[in-house]
Amino acid sequence: MNIVVCLHAPPPDPDGTGLGRDDTHALAQGLALADATDGKMVALLAGTSHESGPLQRALVAGASRAVRLGGEDYASVDFHTLGQALASGIKRIGADLVLAGARSDDEGLGAVPAAAARNLGFAYIARVEELAAAGPRAVEVVVRGGGRKRRLRVDLPAVLSIVGATRALPPPSDRTGNPSEVELMTLNDPETTVVRRRTELLGKPEPASRGTEEVASAAALVTALARR
Amino acid sequence: MIPLREAHLPNLLVPIDIQDGLPTAPSLFALSEGRRVAHTAGVTVFAVVMTDRHLDDALAAQLGRAGADKVLACEGPGLGAPPLDLTHGPALYAAVERIPPLLVLFPAGGAGPQLGPGLASRLGGAFAASADLELGEALTPLADGVGRVFVRRWRADRTSYRRLDPVELERPVVAILPAGGAPADHGSGAVDVEVITCVPPAKVGVVELASEVDDLAAAALAPILIVVDPAVGEGALARLSAAAPAGVTVVDAVAGAPAIATAVPRVVIAVGARGTVISGTPRSRVGAVLAAGPARPGKTPADVLLRVAEGDATKATIDDLCASLAALAGAGQPS
Repeated sequence: MNIVVCLHAPPPDPDGTGLGRDDTHALAQGLALADATDGKMVALLAGTSHESGPLQRALVAGASRAVRLGGEDYASVDFHTLGQALASGIKRIGADLVLAGARSDDEGLGAVPAAAARNLGFAYIARVEELAAAGPRAVEVVVRGGGRKRRLRVDLPAVLSIVGATRALPPPSDRTGNPSEVELMTLNDPETTVVRRRTELLGKPEPASRGTEEVASAAALVTALARR
Repeated sequence: MIPLREAHLPNLLVPIDIQDGLPTAPSLFALSEGRRVAHTAGVTVFAVVMTDRHLDDALAAQLGRAGADKVLACEGPGLGAPPLDLTHGPALYAAVERIPPLLVLFPAGGAGPQLGPGLASRLGGAFAASADLELGEALTPLADGVGRVFVRRWRADRTSYRRLDPVELERPVVAILPAGGAPADHGSGAVDVEVITCVPPAKVGVVELASEVDDLAAAALAPILIVVDPAVGEGALARLSAAAPAGVTVVDAVAGAPAIATAVPRVVIAVGARGTVISGTPRSRVGAVLAAGPARPGKTPADVLLRVAEGDATKATIDDLCASLAALAGAGQPS
């Protein structure tokens, strides 16, 4: 099974792992599934060379390849454009299954995997908690919704967004790979370029005016929260 | 992508989540929010119900009382199951083709995370995973019959908001509203029902292998959520759960992570270091109870912060919090 895991560069955090929380789960699930199916897992990220840390982590953890989509400022594009760019890269890499962290895009929206699925023409399922192989052309997933927790078999190809699981997965283990082997892929797809010129980050930023009020007791905390 | 001219028709669509045959509380709240802005914004509020059977008249009347001007029933095999983009997306797309939206407002804790991003992608619109519905300061319509109505959401780092106005963007906006408590019944039970007969996709590509009751469903729907880090110590979760009044849901930060990821509560209290990842909407209130240590206030998305020492002080604080929870019971109501 050929698996692509889409990663995102999280904001700089000296105490962080260099990976978004859901990205960590997506990467661990992708590696486990590649092992179980004798497949390959490719890590993919759209960003600058300064943002390739997650790809280096993926290589160290055992990814077959790590590919950076470059050539554009992806920090200033909306989820439509980012999804389209990732889809273009995934088409060139080739994938049966695409995994992404559910809330690991810039704004925590979870919309990039859906946009990528639409551009790929793949099935899309959001917020997958558990993932296992179900033969060469299908996977089993666990999702919640409508008051039910369900186990589903999903035919491939598919894009799945991964959410932090109930049973915490261990972080990817240090196995193989050379962190210096991040490949650069530039997109020259005219269609992608046209859309990129037409779109921009959606919405108008507004400053937030709220600060943090420190209180001395739980009762004061509840009172402050109840006060609107 | 829906043509711009049609996309600006002043329709506000609320996809309704049905559980055990009844609309969820956040669904009714979302309709109520739509009703709140409907007159000023000049919008028509549609409740969209995807169902595998004929829509019950009593349910339609309930949706009307909560705020729907009209009910759009998408009827087809399999649509009574929990929603997925694969199974329910085509029905929802049929609804938005019939009624081109200015805004699509998903209720909290329901189909929004599954269907919202795909719908926004299909519409070429904006998406907000947790947002408040707002009316603009200027009441002057910007287009025929369209007032200034928009949603506002936090940016991921919670340092600023992002305002998504469908008129400014010239695109529809898809958003997930918070769970806001009981709706105000300002609508009418006499509501028109329009039916779309939906043909199931020829090849769905998904098969249900097993299904069980979601033990975390209440957390996903909660207007007031208390997220307890298990590292706080044994007993904290049980004591807070026992003390929680109606409308307040207490959940383990680790075991409940999947539901917490879906929840859009009005009020959040994070007890311990985990859980403060929930920022809610701009109108949500976030409280954090943090043990002393390497706490970093700059990284805590809390409106109200209580620092406590470890050990006995933490236990006493939990007891104090248990005794104070009754005061939260009405805090989930919108202002």
